[in-house]
Amino acid sequence: MDPVFYPVNDFGPLMKGLVIGGLGIVHVFTAQFAIGGGMLLCYFQWLAMTGRSSTARAFMDGYFKFLVLVSFVAGALTGVGMWFTSIQLSPVTIGLMVDEFHWLWAVEWTFFCLEVTAGYSFYRYGPGLTDRTRLALLVLYTVGAWFSLFWINGILSWQLTPGGWTETGSLWTGFFNPSFFPSLVFRTIAALTVAALVAMVLVNAVGSFDRAQRTELINHASKLLIPMMAMPLLGVWWLAVLPEDSREWVLGGSVAMTMFLQLAVLVSALIGAYAFVGLIRQRLYINGVTAGLLCALAFIATAFGEFVREGVRKPYTVRETLYSNSVKPGDVARLREVGCVTDDPYPVRGADAMPTDQVRLGAKVFRGQCSICHTTGGVNSLPGLTRGWDVGLKRVNFAKVHKLKPFMPPFAGTPDELEALVQYITWLQEGKTASWSDSLAGPDRAPTLAQLKKYLDEAAPAGTRHP
Amino acid sequence: MDAVFPFGFPSATAFYLAVYVLTLAVHVVFMNYVLAGSAIVAGSALMRRDERVVRVLKDWLPVMLSGAITAGVAPLLFIQILYKQAFYTANLLLFHRWMLILPVLIVGFYALYLMKSGWLSRRRGWARAAVTAVPFATIAFVGYSWTENHLLSLRDRAYWVDFYAGDRPVHTEPQLVPRLLVWACGSVPTLAALLAWQAWYRGWHDERKGLARLAFAGFALTGAASLIYWLAAPEQVSAISSPMALPYFIAACAGLVIQAGSWAAVWRAGLSTRALTVISIGLAMTIVGMTVCREAVRLQAVGADAFERLYPLHRDAAAKGGLPIFVSFLVLNAGLIGLCFVLVRRGTRAA
Repeated sequence: MDPVFYPVNDFGPLMKGLVIGGLGIVHVFTAQFAIGGGMLLCYFQWLAMTGRSSTARAFMDGYFKFLVLVSFVAGALTGVGMWFTSIQLSPVTIGLMVDEFHWLWAVEWTFFCLEVTAGYSFYRYGPGLTDRTRLALLVLYTVGAWFSLFWINGILSWQLTPGGWTETGSLWTGFFNPSFFPSLVFRTIAALTVAALVAMVLVNAVGSFDRAQRTELINHASKLLIPMMAMPLLGVWWLAVLPEDSREWVLGGSVAMTMFLQLAVLVSALIGAYAFVGLIRQRLYINGVTAGLLCALAFIATAFGEFVREGVRKPYTVRETLYSNSVKPGDVARLREVGCVTDDPYPVRGADAMPTDQVRLGAKVFRGQCSICHTTGGVNSLPGLTRGWDVGLKRVNFAKVHKLKPFMPPFAGTPDELEALVQYITWLQEGKTASWSDSLAGPDRAPTLAQLKKYLDEAAPAGTRHP
Repeated sequence: MDAVFPFGFPSATAFYLAVYVLTLAVHVVFMNYVLAGSAIVAGSALMRRDERVVRVLKDWLPVMLSGAITAGVAPLLFIQILYKQAFYTANLLLFHRWMLILPVLIVGFYALYLMKSGWLSRRRGWARAAVTAVPFATIAFVGYSWTENHLLSLRDRAYWVDFYAGDRPVHTEPQLVPRLLVWACGSVPTLAALLAWQAWYRGWHDERKGLARLAFAGFALTGAASLIYWLAAPEQVSAISSPMALPYFIAACAGLVIQAGSWAAVWRAGLSTRALTVISIGLAMTIVGMTVCREAVRLQAVGADAFERLYPLHRDAAAKGGLPIFVSFLVLNAGLIGLCFVLVRRGTRAA
């Protein structure tokens, strides 16, 4: 097959990762609510039908209605949105994932169908059903929801820790990868936590309950927070199975990722401490504002956690297989010979405003190699990040970028393309001036290209040096 | 591509094509109910009418939209295996315009719930009509967007490059609206059949003439829309008469005849299980037949050479494994879904 080029869109000042990250956090939070909500309702149904709670049943139908409105609408559509956004960001990555795991994705879909059917059955007919039937439907709903997590968790964790799959290509080795179980258990506990905290908000929002009834329901819901105490151990387990370099990012190697991990841990610890001391041991009542604050903290912890999960994969979208800019490690050497945009048929937009063909080429290289994580004038802007660098420093640093910052993929283009990128970034930094000359047009062309090739060769990633 | 669909292709390609068409047909059933149903609800609100059939529609539309979204995930999976580059490229080229379907669909979905709420029933007539129009408008927009995306995916690379270079926000061509009209009008007989089952279940036998009228109106509108489509895109329609699609087109037409005959019987004799079963069989023939015809049009547009180049990708995907586990869970979860219906039926009676 000939190399496939896709059109690349400009997200303006927004870093592409922020777009999918933002959507992903909303989706993960609502999905966790859907899963944990099912478990909570099973528990409440059991409390109601065994006479352990006189108010549980009155609360359940309203809670489930809220769950349907949030999870079945926003949750389901943000899930589809994740798919479409993934295509916008990296069609190569989503294509690889679909190729590898489409039947397991289809298995997840069968559980999703079960979840929707059981959920709507309960939503529509639950109030008029017998206790046993209600419980049976809730169990089926929860099984569907949790197994949806089970299957998608295998695919997502494979991106980070494909383990033996990189050698064997075995579907099941990839699916039951090293981070599968810690991630699955962690997400299950997170789902219970979110469901319990949302329940506490809703208990306070229902006007018909008196203080004693609210306290009783909150105390019951708080039992779902007990598994949170295992989160530190699960976190350690997850860190232990991470590849060494990924572990280093979150343990000081990358300031941003270390900070986000610390914030995720801190916020989770605050929720856990409040849950353990206040809700479980002292069986306190909490009002709607406090419950809402805890929910917001849980959302923030989810956001930080997802940022870390996405971040530690760098420089890959699928570890050892595909770099974040959709270049395969095995293609780097070839692209350094033939060029990364040589056959790219899609022209650079706004090329007329660029002063030279070299700058236009640089814009194309930026679009193909850098724009997945960097902008030209917004978040994580490349001209901003390299503002203090002169042309010489840019040349050496871009050529050896994966050595300079190990979470960056290697530059995968020819020396000409590298120089074009350097010139494009410099041109942007200097205010897009109209008077700009081609740096390789004069007598310096040969020595400059030779120097760039030397830089590239010195920093050739292991196993990618061209024979 | 000269054999009857899907036999003229290598086994992996044929298998994915068949699975794609079948899952798409299931999605179409839900989609038709939602599109035609939301149109009827919107129309009824404008005319200030609130028959019991409309109330059933209001009650069921959120579930059916959820079903349409859920059922839409499966063909979305297989289309990526079959036509990866074309599908992704069309998505990317339409960019914001394409991604807009998500917030729009969320608004439409919530409007369906709002339509059922007591809050809306206490509002003035114009406010009720405005809110009731939202689901139809949003769903029609999504349908338009899918058609636009699909047609863009059928264009060649030179067109894509030109589209990208021009930074165009929308894609349009003469066949877009006629094509959409064929599917939109074709949704009416599907709605009539499903509503007929709902009326039969409730014992509303006096609805038979109204439902039959709805079905016949759907047939007439679909016929007119098909004629317009044929005039707008005769070269596309020629794919339907190819050896690959012709038997399915004949089956689709036979399905229409069967439906029409059974609706006539319903008009005369009432909503019987037998008549509704025959209507459903005819409907299934029409939907599956037309879905295959749609695929034949796509395959003709893609071209034999270009599609043959994708065969190795289909073969590689098929070799990845996981099909037996999918079939096992499909059977298991189909059984559990059936159990949900049984539980509701028994539980309602017991309560």
